[in-house]
Amino acid sequence: MSGRYQRRSILGEIAGALVLAFLVMPIFAVVPASVNSASFIKIPPEAYSVRWYGQFFGDASWVSALANSAEVAVLATVFSVVIGTSAALGIERLPSALRSIAVGLVLSPLIVPVIMISISLYYVTRSIGLYGTPVGLALSHSLLCLPFVVLNVGVSLKRLDPNLVRAAEGLGAGPWRVFRTVTFPAIVPGLVGGATFAFVTSFDEVVISIFIAGYGAKTLPVKLWEQIRVEFTPVAAVASTVILGLTMVLFVLGRRVTMKKAAAAGTEGAWR
Amino acid sequence: MTGVETASAVPRGARDQRSARAAMTAGLLLPAALFLAGWFLWPLGQLLVLSLSAPEGALSSYKATAESQVFRTIFVNTLWLAVVVTLICTVLAYPAAWLLTRVRGFWFSVALYCVLLPFWISVLVRTFSWMLLLERNGPVNGLLLAIGATDQPLRLLFNQFSVYVGMVHVLLPYAIFPIYASMLKVDRRLLLASDGLGASSRTTFLRVFLPLTMPGVMAGAAFVFLLALGFYITPALLGGPQNLTAAMLIDSFVNERLVWPLAAAASFILLFMVLAVLLLASRFIAIGSVVVMK
Repeated sequence: MSGRYQRRSILGEIAGALVLAFLVMPIFAVVPASVNSASFIKIPPEAYSVRWYGQFFGDASWVSALANSAEVAVLATVFSVVIGTSAALGIERLPSALRSIAVGLVLSPLIVPVIMISISLYYVTRSIGLYGTPVGLALSHSLLCLPFVVLNVGVSLKRLDPNLVRAAEGLGAGPWRVFRTVTFPAIVPGLVGGATFAFVTSFDEVVISIFIAGYGAKTLPVKLWEQIRVEFTPVAAVASTVILGLTMVLFVLGRRVTMKKAAAAGTEGAWR
Repeated sequence: MTGVETASAVPRGARDQRSARAAMTAGLLLPAALFLAGWFLWPLGQLLVLSLSAPEGALSSYKATAESQVFRTIFVNTLWLAVVVTLICTVLAYPAAWLLTRVRGFWFSVALYCVLLPFWISVLVRTFSWMLLLERNGPVNGLLLAIGATDQPLRLLFNQFSVYVGMVHVLLPYAIFPIYASMLKVDRRLLLASDGLGASSRTTFLRVFLPLTMPGVMAGAAFVFLLALGFYITPALLGGPQNLTAAMLIDSFVNERLVWPLAAAASFILLFMVLAVLLLASRFIAIGSVVVMK
């Protein structure tokens, strides 16, 4: 294409491919560890078995941790999607100076060290009785979920032609009707993208959860954390594989929906 | 609500219309604003009060933490760890971002997914994977023994090395995207011009391409650095007793030593460090863009 410069880049490309392999391959180490038949961890396993999966799903404490995680993640997703979508619509209507302040505020929970958020919520939730409750944990996770919803919906809103809204208004549609028939269909890709990432963020969250889940809302990552600090067991590898599998499914589903919608809208969909 | 309808049907003055619009904007923003005020700013405010509430005087907790030898050592370690991890991430991210600009179609999707997927996978699971890989009897030692690089298993886990590996693995994608974005912006004609004027590919890279992508490199480095400063899970699991970070110190103030004012003061010191990095890097950073890419 552009002469010597481009031709000589092959070494850089090989280095890049190695870095990408380093990024992806280690993630899956827990999978072979979970199907080992021995009672200690061995990669690759000498003999395969699903006995540890039986152990995991037969153990009430793991299953209830999984159920807690799902409950908290659903609550956090619904909450952050509702207030986040509303906020994104509001931010879009602000003058640009105020807009960047509002976006900065929404993003700030991702900037403040999570340990600091954790201890401040630990301190506060104990005094208002939400420590160790799914609701308290879901609200806390929502701090980290909200930015993804607001920004993803915001991106969809920017792609929406403002003339469509004006046309609907001019034809006599009220604000609710405009939202339902024009705005909402346009932001579905952002909504789905934001919601899936919000769910995964909450489902995977560890640090805040360690501090405020207590016994009442102990989630799967918290139980896994407690377990692997003591010893590596095949059941811990099963728990990790369960988290990994669920995340992969959501990753693929989320991208499918958003890419299809983006393709249908004729917009560049590669990013989401 | 109805203000908008009547205003568009019968023009009743721009002021009416504008105030109705402002009221609706405020209404849309209100739930998130209340939530962030009550569940984010208020708890942080409580923590600030706590940090200033030691019986010995308002700033005594800050003084005590700043004067403590242990605290100083751990903060210097945390900074050093963040610097090294940032350097490694930036160096590794550059060729990975380069590869992303070079491939098309199917292979572009594969490469992109390689960078996106780790964002989605739990940090805890990824860290646990590294624990299994680096274990005494794990596959990495197995490989080293098999190729004869060592004659007995190396101690790869619970030390500085494993902390670096784990943190680089978690933070690398944050460096790749800003660099990739800056590479896309480079005008290919400048490279052609440099090439056509007889520059070697090395010179073209060092004098044209690299300087033009430096804003992306700086943004990526800043991201990695500020996230690395607050790291907790990965160093706690992969490090040994000597690899304490500021976040682990704050945790021990709260859970073991029960000294809330010190924990609060230490976390504000950590926050100031993060904000300082952010301020220095604000020229290069658009945090929103990385968040959206996930």
